Amino acid sequence: MEEKTHNKADQTNLLDDEKLMDHDYDGIQELDNPPPRWIMAIFYITIAFAIIYAAHYFWLGVGENQDAQYARKSLNHDAKYKMANQSTEDLVLLTDAGDLEEGKVIFSEMNCFACHGMSGEGNAIGPNLTDNSWISGCDFQSVFNIVKNGNPTKGMTAFKGQISDTKIQKVSSYVLSLVGTNPANAKDPQGVNCE
Amino acid sequence: MENQKFYYDNKIVKLFIKATIIWGITAVTVGLLIAFQLAYPAYNFGLEFTTFGRMRPLHTNAVIFAFVGNAIFAGVYYSMQKLLKARMFSDVLSKIHFWGWQLIILLAAITFTLGISTSKEYAELEWPIDILITIVWVVFGWNMIGTIVKRRVQHIYAAIWWYLASFLGVAILHVVNSFELPVSLFKSYSIYAGAQDAVVQWWYGHNAVAFFLTTPFLGLMYYYLPKAANRPIYSYKLSIIHFWSLIFLYMWAGPHHLLYQALPDWAQALGVTFSIMLIAPSWGGMINGLLTLRGAWDKVRDSAVLKFFVVAVTAYGMSTFEGPMMSLKNVNQITHFTDWTIAHVHIAGMGWNAGLIFGMLYWMIPRLYKTKLYSEKLANTHFWIATLAILVYAIPLYWAAVTQWLMWREYTPEGFLAYPNFLETLTHILPMYTVRIVGGTLFLIGFLIMMYNLYKTMKSGSVEDNEAAEAPAFVSEGPRNPLKETVHRWMERKIVKFSIWVFIALVIGGAVEIIPMIFIKSNVPTIAAVTPYTPLELEGRDIYVSEGCHTCHSQVVRPFRWETDRYGEYSKIGEFVYDHPYQWGSRRTGPDLARAGYVGGPMYKNAAWHYNHFMNPQKMNEQSIMPNYAWFAKKELNLNLVPKKIRAMQTLRVPYAEGFDEIAVDDLLKQAKGIVADLKSSNIEIEPTKQMVAMIAYLHKLGGDIAPSVVEVGESSTETIEDIKLLTGEEDLNAAREIFTQTCVVCHGADGKGIATFPDLTDDEWISGDSPLNVYQSISNGKITKGMVPYKDTYSEKQIIQLTSYILLKLNSDEDSK
Repeated sequence: MEEKTHNKADQTNLLDDEKLMDHDYDGIQELDNPPPRWIMAIFYITIAFAIIYAAHYFWLGVGENQDAQYARKSLNHDAKYKMANQSTEDLVLLTDAGDLEEGKVIFSEMNCFACHGMSGEGNAIGPNLTDNSWISGCDFQSVFNIVKNGNPTKGMTAFKGQISDTKIQKVSSYVLSLVGTNPANAKDPQGVNCE
Repeated sequence: MENQKFYYDNKIVKLFIKATIIWGITAVTVGLLIAFQLAYPAYNFGLEFTTFGRMRPLHTNAVIFAFVGNAIFAGVYYSMQKLLKARMFSDVLSKIHFWGWQLIILLAAITFTLGISTSKEYAELEWPIDILITIVWVVFGWNMIGTIVKRRVQHIYAAIWWYLASFLGVAILHVVNSFELPVSLFKSYSIYAGAQDAVVQWWYGHNAVAFFLTTPFLGLMYYYLPKAANRPIYSYKLSIIHFWSLIFLYMWAGPHHLLYQALPDWAQALGVTFSIMLIAPSWGGMINGLLTLRGAWDKVRDSAVLKFFVVAVTAYGMSTFEGPMMSLKNVNQITHFTDWTIAHVHIAGMGWNAGLIFGMLYWMIPRLYKTKLYSEKLANTHFWIATLAILVYAIPLYWAAVTQWLMWREYTPEGFLAYPNFLETLTHILPMYTVRIVGGTLFLIGFLIMMYNLYKTMKSGSVEDNEAAEAPAFVSEGPRNPLKETVHRWMERKIVKFSIWVFIALVIGGAVEIIPMIFIKSNVPTIAAVTPYTPLELEGRDIYVSEGCHTCHSQVVRPFRWETDRYGEYSKIGEFVYDHPYQWGSRRTGPDLARAGYVGGPMYKNAAWHYNHFMNPQKMNEQSIMPNYAWFAKKELNLNLVPKKIRAMQTLRVPYAEGFDEIAVDDLLKQAKGIVADLKSSNIEIEPTKQMVAMIAYLHKLGGDIAPSVVEVGESSTETIEDIKLLTGEEDLNAAREIFTQTCVVCHGADGKGIATFPDLTDDEWISGDSPLNVYQSISNGKITKGMVPYKDTYSEKQIIQLTSYILLKLNSDEDSK
C-alpha cells in the first residue's frame, strides 16, 4: 500500500476538462479551473444584500431601529389583547353571582388557596380573607391593588403579568364576598378592622 | 542543482498526536459529564469543583485548545516540513511549544476546577495564563515563520497561507481581548466594560471559531485531502479568492452574537451583513475540497479517511450556511439563548473539526509509523458511529430549541405569557437532553475505538524520529516577470509582503468595530440613575463571574414583548458601564437575571428566597436543574482584597469617591449586616462576611437602577416632580388625617410613633430623607424591601401631598414630637 513520497497525480488520471498548473507541493498539484460561476454569483448577491440592508436601515432611513420596533410591536400587542390602561372607575366591586362564581374559579386556578386556604381562612403564609381585618386596605380598590401589584417582600405575588384586570376585578370581588363566612380553622385577624 | 540532505522532525509530530488523542478523550468525557448534569442535576455531585458552571468552560476549552489545538499542531508540524522541504526551524522552540501548551492545558484544568475564571467565553483563563499563552503562541509563530524563511521551495502553498493567517489572527485576537487589570494572582478585571467588553469579547469569540477552528482546518484540508485522495486541488484561483475574502470578512462578523442586545444598531448591522457575505468565501473552501474528490469518489466508499473528510467538509458547508442564517435578526431571536447554538457548534465541532482530525490521524499515523492501519474495518465502524452520534446529538437540540422558543413567546388568549414560569419551558425539553446524552456517549465510544485502533497501529510500527530527506537548495527566482508571474504568485514567494497583507486584512474589521465603541461617547449613552457596585455587590459579582453563572443565566433582556413581560424592561447600553467584564451570557438554561434586583419586577426574589434557593434549588422548585451552592454559606469573602479591587475599578474610571477604598470594607460590612438582619427576620442565621451575603447583595443590585416603564392602573403621574409645596390649609390636613387613620396607622401608629420595627415619624431620624420631596417619594414609591407599600396607585398626587404635609407639619412638628 505504500505510495511514493511524491505521489504526483497521474496525468492520465485527469478528467477531460482539467488542466494542471505547474504547481507541485510535496506531490500536491493544482488545476487551472476558474471558480464555479454559481459560487461567484452567490458572492455578488450577498454583497448586494449587504449594501441594500445597510441602505434600508441607515442611509435611506426606512428600516426601524430596535427601540422603534419594540415600541410599535408592543403597542400592537396591547391593541390585539385590549390591554390598554383601563380607567379605575370601571373597576368596581362586582356582586353578580356569575361574576363571583368566575372569581371563585380564578381563586382556585391561580392557586390563591395555597396561601389563603381553600375557603380563604388563611394559613401559615397568608392572612385570613374572611374576617374584616385587612393589612393593605379593605375597600375594593385596595384589594384590587394588592392582587394586581402584590407585595413581593411579604410573599404576595403580583398577578398583573398573569391575569387581566377584569379577572383581578372578579377575584377581588370574590375575596370581598368571603367576608363573614366564618370557615373552620380561621386564622387570627391581621391588619386593621374595617367594621 | 545539488540536492541538500536534511531530516524531518517526526518526534514532535508524534508528541502532538498523542496529546491530541489523550486530551480529545478527556474533552469529550467532560462534555458527557455536563450533558448528564443538564439532564440530571445530581451529577453536579454537590461539590463546588464539579458544578456545571465550572465544568462547562473546562469542556469548551479542552475541546478547542487541548483537542483541536494539539491536532492543529500535529497536522501543521507534519505537513509544513513536507510542504517547505525543511526541518522545523528550531527543535528547542518545538519543545517549548509542545510542553508549554500542555502546561497551559493543565493549568486551565486546575484553575477552572478551583473556580478561577474571567468568564469571557473561550478566554476564561486568568491573566498569568494569558501571558503564558502569548509566549507559547509567539514561540509557535517564530518556529513557523523561521521554517518558512529557511524553506527549500520557491512558493508557499495554500495550506501555509491558512496556517500563517491562523497564527496572526489568533495572536491579534488573544492580545486585544485579554487586556485586563490584575488585582491578585488569580483575579483581574477586563479593561473593557459592558457593551464595549461584549463587542471585544465576541469579536474574539467569533474569530476564535474562525482562526482556531476554521482557518487552520482549511489549511489541513488543503494538505491532507488531496494527499489522501491522490487528486490535484480543483481550483487554484478559488483558493486565492476564498482565502482573502474569508480572512478579511470574518473579522467583522462578531456582533452577530449580540443581536437585539444592548448594542448600537450600526454594530449589529455590521454583524448581520458581514455574516451573510461570508457564505460564499466559506463555501469556496467546501467546494474546493469536494471537487478535489472528483474522479476519486470510488475510493471514498472504502476509505474511512476519505469518508471522514467528506463528512467534515460537508459539515463545514452546513455550518457555514447555518451560521449566516442565524445572523439574520429574525432568525437569531430563535437561535440565540436556546439550544440551537449548541447544536450548531456541535455539528461544526464533531463534524468539521473532529471529522477532519480523525481522517487526518487515520492517514498520518500509518505513514509516520511506517506501517499499515491496524484495522480498516474498525476505522469504518468508528466513522458510522461518529456520524450517527452527530445526528443523535444535534437533532434533539434543534427540536428543543424551537420548542422552548415557542413556549417563551406563547401568549394566552388574554394576552399573558402562557408559561410565565421559566422552569416549565425547561422541564418540557429535558427529555431531549437525555437523548443528547446518547449522542455524546456514542461519540465517545467511537473515539475509544479509534484510540484502540491507533494504539495497535503504533505498536505494529515505529517512528523514525529524524527522517532523512533531500531537496534542491533554495535559489530565489529574483524579481517578478510580469509576463510569466501574476502578482499573487509573486507574493507567494515574498513571505514578508504576504504576511503584511494578511495582517492588514485581519485588523480592519476589528478596528472599525471596536475603536468607535471605546472612543465615541454617543455609542454608550450613560444613564444618570446607574450607580457603581457597592463593595459588597462587587464581591458578589466577582463570585458570579468566577463560578460561571453566565453559562446558564443571561443578563440582557431583548426588546421583545415576550421578554419584557417575563423579565422586565429591556436592557439599555448605559446600564452596563461599570461591568468589568460584561455578563450577558449566551444561553438561557435558567431565566435571565438582568432585572433580578428590580423590586416589584417579575424576577425579584427576597433575600430569604435566594438563601434557600442557593442552599437547595430543588427545595424551591422541585424540577430545577440548578446545582446547589450551599458552600456560599460557608466560604468567607476575602476582605483584604476589597480596597485593592476598589482602586482597580477607579483605575478603570469607575467613579468611586477619592479615598473610598479606605472605607470600602466598612461600607461592605454595613451593607452585609443589613442583609443579615433581613435574613434573620426569616429565622436564617448567617455571618455578614460569607459569600452568600455578597451574592444576595449582587442579585439585588441587578437591573434595579432604572425603573421599568410599567403600565400602572390609577392616576399616577408620569412626569417627574421637581419639588412640592406643603399644604397648610385645615381642609387638606383633615383629609390627610383621615387617610392616615385609615391606612398608615397599621404600621406607623395613630400617633405616628411607629409600631414594632416600623419607623417613628415624629422624631428627627428619617430613613429616606426629611425634605418634603423625600417624604412624598417615600409614600409614592414605597420602600418595598422594608415593607413600605407604594401608594401612588392608591392615592392621587394631591392626596399624597396632603399626607406629606400632615406628616411633616402635624406629626413631626417640634411641639408634638419632643
